[in-house]
Amino acid sequence: MQAFNYKFQQFEPLKSFKCVPEPEVYVPGHRTCAGCGPALNYRLVAKAAGQDTIFIGPTGCMYVANSSYLCTPYACSWIHAQITNGGAVASGIEAAFKVLARKGKHTGPFPNVIVMAGDGGSVDIGLQAMSGLMYRNHKVLFICYDNESYANTGIQTSPMTPYGAATTFTPPGKEIPEGKTLFPKDAPQLVIGGHPAVKYVATTTVALPLDLMNKVRKALSQPGPTFLHMLAPCPKGWLFPEHLTREMARLAVETGMWSMYEWENGAYKYTNVPKKYKPVNEYMKHQGRFAHLKPEHIAKMQAFIDERIKNVKERIPIPIPTPKQTA
Amino acid sequence: MAKEQMMTGCRASAEGAKAAEVEVICSFPIRPYTAIMMELAKMVANGELNAEFLHGEGEHAQLSVVLGASASGARAFTGSSGVGVTYAMEIYSPMSGGRYPAQMAIADRTLDPPGDFGSEHTDAMCTRDQGWLLGWADSPQEVYDNTLIYYRVGEDHRVMLPQMVCQEGYFISHIPDKVVLGERSQVKEFLPPYRPIGPLSLTHPVSHGPQIRPDQGAPMDAARAQTFLAVPKVIEEATADFNRIFGRKYDPFVEQYKLADAEIAFFIMGAHSNTCRTSVDRLRKQGVKAGMARLRWVRPWPTHQLAEALGHVKAIGVVETSTSYGGAMRGGNLIHELRASLYDLDQRPLVTSFMAGLGGETIWPADFDHMAKVLTEMVKEKKTRNYVHWIGM
Repeated sequence: MQAFNYKFQQFEPLKSFKCVPEPEVYVPGHRTCAGCGPALNYRLVAKAAGQDTIFIGPTGCMYVANSSYLCTPYACSWIHAQITNGGAVASGIEAAFKVLARKGKHTGPFPNVIVMAGDGGSVDIGLQAMSGLMYRNHKVLFICYDNESYANTGIQTSPMTPYGAATTFTPPGKEIPEGKTLFPKDAPQLVIGGHPAVKYVATTTVALPLDLMNKVRKALSQPGPTFLHMLAPCPKGWLFPEHLTREMARLAVETGMWSMYEWENGAYKYTNVPKKYKPVNEYMKHQGRFAHLKPEHIAKMQAFIDERIKNVKERIPIPIPTPKQTA
Repeated sequence: MAKEQMMTGCRASAEGAKAAEVEVICSFPIRPYTAIMMELAKMVANGELNAEFLHGEGEHAQLSVVLGASASGARAFTGSSGVGVTYAMEIYSPMSGGRYPAQMAIADRTLDPPGDFGSEHTDAMCTRDQGWLLGWADSPQEVYDNTLIYYRVGEDHRVMLPQMVCQEGYFISHIPDKVVLGERSQVKEFLPPYRPIGPLSLTHPVSHGPQIRPDQGAPMDAARAQTFLAVPKVIEEATADFNRIFGRKYDPFVEQYKLADAEIAFFIMGAHSNTCRTSVDRLRKQGVKAGMARLRWVRPWPTHQLAEALGHVKAIGVVETSTSYGGAMRGGNLIHELRASLYDLDQRPLVTSFMAGLGGETIWPADFDHMAKVLTEMVKEKKTRNYVHWIGM
């Protein structure tokens, strides 16, 4: 396509909480549960991105509980997508703004196009559309708010549900004592591992709001596709008291259940690596979804996490070469 | 005046899209429609068309991309065939319910199994209850014309609905025929730029497609149905303007061929109407008072226009090139709606159906002769013996 200078927005990092923009873009009007991790997540993302944003909201908790007719909580433009196609709808929006800008029909800043998809809408039923978006080099930020289940339909297992978790599709029983027997997908690795156009991938949690907002701002300042994986604890699905949402996210980092890193131009940068990891049970024991597990199941989980955090210490090798950005 | 050129239906479709200056295009390969995208890809690569050309990862993505583009205020274009049309099924209702007037070009094809490249109406007919405007062309010329007419109707603020512009795979899509392309000035006079209503915007924030309560659903469904009642007037205006500007003679809804004094009539749509027309001529020479009614829009269905055009005929044979297994009339789809359209007449014609052209088979002149014989017997007996006759078996 013809060379054209799109007015992509650039964001300075927020040095402290004092620098956080005051306006709220995610405002009252939603109907999420008390202590909802994804809702908190949404508010921080919207605050970091600002008003010049278009959200794409695939079906999930953040659609069904969030977006009621005539009282949606978005002070910017927002569009529903099917749970299947967040990536594809976002691609169409981004492409439209590009051609409209070229033709002079859209003036002003290029919108921050952000997909806010749950784990199912990102790497299960939404995987194909997400991958298509990443491959085609659209300037879109795809966020997976990961509450580790299909929560709005009543807590069914997703590929992001951890081993051993009880869900309504993986109930523990005599024959299957641990409930869920499979280990989850690795969402950011799916993106990094096969999409040469991707500019920036990072993980974060609601326990670290400044980190979360800065990763959003860094992602939005890139000229191409970016992906953020956000751990968003779900009191109803994970069965913990609703005032402990941030505490769960913090413990996930401290036990190695969740790793904090950025991936940029083929290089990994880990942050918040504990000097000494706590045992995974320090995280699991607070959550009713793991209450049925026997010591051998917890040992199995510990072995899985040990293997994963070994990689953190060793630094994961670059999976695929990334083309350098050309002017 | 532009001169005639020989081109396939696929090329005519791409020329129509180019004339409409589509802004976002999303492709995925499947035979036979894919030649439309091959033509458009060349136009974009050569700089003849200022558009974003996206390679969707499937038909579901194609529809999703044009939904997003249309919601953002761009004129969007996509297309498909056969199982590709059904793969995208989830997105048809969000497109029409969201009132996104993007366009989809269909070169039709059988559904699997078994794998068959042949033309059949079954693919796009599956979508007829999804709230789209839908109809078949009978020539590459009409494909080009319909591309412009459908955008004009779909983007009208009284309508705002997505459109499916259908042509038969191979019979139209791949056989070159004479086409006169419009002049730029003609297209400009006929088709105004797309003016979206409440598009995704940075200056006027909007929410598209929020969750409703069950009690909010019925009024919204009723509004969609109401919209369809308003479409015929818009089609009439658009067809009259098109005929005036481009010098054509389209009837807005039903082409009536030697129907005025006909005793038996074929009810048909799409490419096979060409063989049907010559068959009517031949039958007339043999003294059979035959005629033809060709449907130009399946949605909206022209109920009253059909009753008016066909009410006086004694027996009608519906030429069905799609299937409705287990349906009320044991064969196709069109007969259900045609019979319903005639139901309130004091004197109802006899109506039967002919399953013909299935799997991409040609409907031969001899087949029309056979159908005429069946219809003539029905007239004699004053009775519909069978709802359905399978042709070419």
